[in-house]
Amino acid sequence: MSDRPTSDPLPTNIVVPSPQSQVVHLHIRERLFSTLEGAFNEEVFFLILSVFIGIFSGLAVVCFRLSIDWIHLALLGPLPQTHSWRLFAVPSLAGLVVAVLVMHVFPLIRGSGVNQTKAALYIFNGFIPFRTAVGKFFCSAIAIGAGHSLGPEDPSLQIGAGIASALGRQLQISREKLRLMAPVGAAAGLAAAFNAPISAVLFVIEEVIGRWSAGILGSVVLSAVSSVVIVRSFLGSEPLFRIPVTTFKRPSELIAYAVLGVAGGLCAVAFAKLIGYFRPRLKALPRWTQYFQPAVAGLLIGLVAFLGAPQVMGAGYDSMDQAMHGQFAWKFLAALAVLKILATTVSFVSGTPGGMFAPTLFIGAMLGGAVGDIERIFFPHLTGSTGTYVLVGMGVLFAGFLRVPMTSVFMVLEVSGNYEIIVPVIVANTFAYLVSRSLQPIPIFDLLTRQDGLILPSLEEEREEAILRVEDAILPAKTILNGQDYVDASARRVQDSTDAMFLVRMHPSGWNTISREQLQRLFREGNGELTLASVLPAQPLPTLYPDLPLDAAIRYVNAYPLVPVVNRADSRRLEGVISRDSVFQKYGGPTKQP
Amino acid sequence: MPKCFSRAPHLQPGLCSENAIVIRAMSWTIPKLVPRSAPVILIILTLCAVTGFAAVSHLVARYNANQQARGRKLYAQGLTEAGAGRYEGAIDLFRAALTCDPTNSQYQLSLARALRDSEDPRRLDEAESYLLALWQRSPQDAAINLALARVAAHRGSIEDATRYYHNAMYGVWNADPDSNRNRGRIELIEFLLSKNVRAQADSELIALAASLPANFAAHLQAAQLFTQAQDYAAALGQYEVALRIDPANAAAMAGAGEAAYRSGNYTIAQRYLRAAVSSNPADESSRRLLASTDLVLASNPFQSHISDAERNRRISAAFAQSEERLAQCARQTGVDLAATSSSSSSSSLSNLQSRWITVKPDLNHLRFPVETDLPDAIMDVVFQIEHQTAVTCGPPQGFDLALLLISEKREAAGQ
Repeated sequence: MSDRPTSDPLPTNIVVPSPQSQVVHLHIRERLFSTLEGAFNEEVFFLILSVFIGIFSGLAVVCFRLSIDWIHLALLGPLPQTHSWRLFAVPSLAGLVVAVLVMHVFPLIRGSGVNQTKAALYIFNGFIPFRTAVGKFFCSAIAIGAGHSLGPEDPSLQIGAGIASALGRQLQISREKLRLMAPVGAAAGLAAAFNAPISAVLFVIEEVIGRWSAGILGSVVLSAVSSVVIVRSFLGSEPLFRIPVTTFKRPSELIAYAVLGVAGGLCAVAFAKLIGYFRPRLKALPRWTQYFQPAVAGLLIGLVAFLGAPQVMGAGYDSMDQAMHGQFAWKFLAALAVLKILATTVSFVSGTPGGMFAPTLFIGAMLGGAVGDIERIFFPHLTGSTGTYVLVGMGVLFAGFLRVPMTSVFMVLEVSGNYEIIVPVIVANTFAYLVSRSLQPIPIFDLLTRQDGLILPSLEEEREEAILRVEDAILPAKTILNGQDYVDASARRVQDSTDAMFLVRMHPSGWNTISREQLQRLFREGNGELTLASVLPAQPLPTLYPDLPLDAAIRYVNAYPLVPVVNRADSRRLEGVISRDSVFQKYGGPTKQP
Repeated sequence: MPKCFSRAPHLQPGLCSENAIVIRAMSWTIPKLVPRSAPVILIILTLCAVTGFAAVSHLVARYNANQQARGRKLYAQGLTEAGAGRYEGAIDLFRAALTCDPTNSQYQLSLARALRDSEDPRRLDEAESYLLALWQRSPQDAAINLALARVAAHRGSIEDATRYYHNAMYGVWNADPDSNRNRGRIELIEFLLSKNVRAQADSELIALAASLPANFAAHLQAAQLFTQAQDYAAALGQYEVALRIDPANAAAMAGAGEAAYRSGNYTIAQRYLRAAVSSNPADESSRRLLASTDLVLASNPFQSHISDAERNRRISAAFAQSEERLAQCARQTGVDLAATSSSSSSSSLSNLQSRWITVKPDLNHLRFPVETDLPDAIMDVVFQIEHQTAVTCGPPQGFDLALLLISEKREAAGQ
């Protein structure tokens, strides 16, 4: 509507719409607006919002990566430093700066972004303070750029989750959706950091959300893909590594990869135990020591670098790339794996913000290269190149340390773009996962969560929990009556039975039940000539299938004394029955109704 | 409640300080900045995204410009190091340049070349990986294909090297394509000859000869390659073309003489070798070949335009020489030609002695010109003796060598 006063003179070249046409235009605009409003139900709106979360997370991660590179170049220079004072000074001073920021400005940025995202999902109704995302951005960039042995992926994940959470709160979406915002943002951040959308989606589903549903999956995929598109448009679609020729020719070589899997599992356990042991102890030290812990960590890492292993500084992707191309001898590879475990442990337990994804890949890569080279010394006929073992090693530690078996396989495939090594990766990762699980029952993320005083659902435990099914509580149906039989015949038939309740097969389909008392009462009342179908209620019983979870039966067994269990292929074929007693017996609860 | 290692006494008892902070922060109300109308929200979000995209684009562009400038400086330093053969330093500098400008093909190519030329076999993989990545982006680039071919040649992979050399030859060169293609082909031929793949090398040589420019050096190099490939007739042709351009070149004359000598054209060989020796008296190899050539020409009974008497004289001399060679070889190997022996070498020498004795009376019939097959029959025995003694007692010298060469020429003419 025009606000122009009617008394103003109008320019002659402007056609003024008549009041009638103005009303029509307004009506059309309102209708269009209300149609658009109607088109955006919350599900659709959430999906569209996921794309925006991906875009904003992608933009943030691009800036984050540039910041790390810029800080690294500014503080350590573009050329590899050897025996330089900077190696000591830079990480130590950066540690001091980060400690002050963590203690006074961003107290929530300590710890794992994965756990904070899980906490947001399960405890805090999707709430991640935006200040945490900002703090994670700056402090992690300083720490990683200055050479602390940490990776940018976990902070990226938390930056994405923080942006998503802030956006969700700002838009005041429903609590149910707000809870899911953090994982959706986390997927976007991780996908952008790894340039690997499939792995990011799988990680978030496998480790954070823990369940597959179309609504969540759609949002997570959309955010991950849109963030990767953004990152690629700025930083190019170059993969993280230049993958050498990888070979897998003989099935017998799987034994060599299995050995690598076992070694990786043991290494992952050692790494997790070190972090699990030192983190609470350092955290429990007096508060003033926390100002110096990151600086001491930086000093130790600088010492390692000064003594000849500058590869342990930072995320270490360049060194992984070199290892993949056989640039290091096996002794040096093994030494780098050990030193990186120590460097990452001191960095992480000191409270320096940063992630463990890249260090995990680094340790796995070095371990894989070392084990592969050693194996080829003893078995020269092995055809796998060093690059193949390095790649498999990455997946092995991912599976063993982070305990995400599916993500670990897909991450190697996505990073390498080579499906030839899928079998070695699966074999090695399985061994690493099993060894790690048997020696370290609590996964690292759960361990960190418990140390932080939270009880989050352990998704690994949930995955491994044995599910009770209907078939576990099934009982044989001894006497089955027919709906077309007469009451007197049926009463005579159940005379010798000890059961109190009988199943009745209805015609042409369906089931019903009748009790011994009911039958006898009908007979006494002179209804013996009636068929069972005529005296039973028309509403048939619900049926169950043997493979259904036993939880599904609970809602029926209180309402019906017997529930028939039928075959999925033939619903008239009875597999047995379940009752309240048989179900609760399986759960170990009371078997008699109060 | 699990054990908590960091407590804030001023907050709720039993809660970790971080968790308590989150709970406290949750109670803060967020100022509502946007209306709850979905279309309006989406329009605002789109505007924010576009603004963010533009801002980050600007940031990235500025950052990239700075990085590229830094990368150029490092790359120039790297080229200086590589030019001086200091590949370790060059590799570090090229790597650093690549961290500044990770997608720069030129930096990647230079790093790959430095890795390859560093003579560290461990680095071939990395060099190949860089080159393969570049190749996937521009498979028609001749320089990348040539670099890949050299890596394959370092590995000794004939199939890959041939494929990449061919790609380089038929690929796109930024400058001087013809000479670069010929250089690539020459490298391939040298590689194939080093791997003793003669048939493939011959076909490449034929293609090379067809595309050579009118240039002395190119023809001389082609002739030398033909010589290496033992195609002496083609080598002689190339030397002759080179000599037409530079008739006084001693190396070309010596090469032509050797090619003619190896191909059995002793008359031509004599001419070139004489010229080579006269223009470069220090050329011992040509002098030795010339002596051998002179001997062949002076003792060949099958040479045209010689009289019957001269032919008979040459046959007699050859026959006498063969007996001497047989006796000398028997002494050298300890074989008693008079006794019969079971060993193969001594029996073959004894058989030759028997044949020589059988044929000896026929020498007297050489006076009669009607006996046209007799010279061949006598020389057959001579040739057999020279062949067998060469196998049993090693390569002959002097007159014996001349007789062996005459025999080889005769065999070649017969085929």
